[in-house]
Amino acid sequence: MAEIELKTAPADFRFPTTNQTRHCFTRYIEFHRCVAARGEESNECEKFAKYYRSLCPGEWIEKWEEQRAEGTFPGPL
Amino acid sequence: MIESQRHSYHLVDPSPWPISGSLGALATTVGGVMYMHPFQGGATLLSLGLIFILYTMFVWWRDVLRESTLEGHHTKVVQLGLRYGFIPFIVSEVMFLFAFFRASSHSSLAPTVEIGGIWPPKGIGVLDPREIPFLNTPILLSSGAAVTWAHHAILAGKEKRAVYALVATVSLALVFTGFQGMEYYQAPFTISDSIYGSTFFLATGFHGFHVIIGTLFLIICGIRQYLGHLTKEHHVGFEAAAWYWHFVDVVRLFPFVSIYWWGGI
Repeated sequence: MAEIELKTAPADFRFPTTNQTRHCFTRYIEFHRCVAARGEESNECEKFAKYYRSLCPGEWIEKWEEQRAEGTFPGPL
Repeated sequence: MIESQRHSYHLVDPSPWPISGSLGALATTVGGVMYMHPFQGGATLLSLGLIFILYTMFVWWRDVLRESTLEGHHTKVVQLGLRYGFIPFIVSEVMFLFAFFRASSHSSLAPTVEIGGIWPPKGIGVLDPREIPFLNTPILLSSGAAVTWAHHAILAGKEKRAVYALVATVSLALVFTGFQGMEYYQAPFTISDSIYGSTFFLATGFHGFHVIIGTLFLIICGIRQYLGHLTKEHHVGFEAAAWYWHFVDVVRLFPFVSIYWWGGI
């Protein structure tokens, strides 16, 4: 049986509080900024996607994806 | 004054105004709730309540004016009591407005994820603090200076000059309110545009409302000064209006610095 490595986002000292809402949101933005700067094919951005996926609730991500598609996403992309 | 009175306190006569004001407040609250929910006659009850309150204010203050100016009940010690009473009233007003500035700071210092973590929120075109806000602040502060001029004129017994000074004070106040109205009219956002619009209009709107109250208070003082009601030794009404006016123009600095300037760049 192969070992599955389980990993969450690393501790980020910008977000020291128990509430990690802002951490999740910032990682989401960092991913999209990274993609915008380096292009889809770059594999440097994938880590940010892993971080936000482990930090953010699924519904939030769905909502933000919709908002980005409609151009109503409020964050600084 | 009764002959046998051996003290200088004002024992007031029974008056119908406290109960009439209370009934007016009751009608206003019930009418207001009915008006904002699907009930019939809400608007009528609300208007009736407001008219009742305004009427009560008029006749009650008319009675106070008669007791003080015509009947001489406001002795030195009564005047002191009025001053002591007015101070906590102003303190409570400061706390009332502080709550709205606090709401604004709370929302802007750590903007939530829902508004993208940025202030002003995306899509809000803020007003340039160097335009109307920067003009209106010194206008209101000058009005505060003009009311001090009026105070000195009263203390010096220069009755005509006091009237002129009060006209200047009130004129500056009206210019302020006019500009503020223009700013609201031209604002690219409304009270329903995000937390920015809500806190902006709540804070500046309640401040503006207090400016209007202060202006009415000063207009009454101007009329009373013109009629010769205020003397060198006895002008508590004027002093209360001047204190209120200084409260209003000091409070203006908070929205100017924190909402228009810091929050708008």
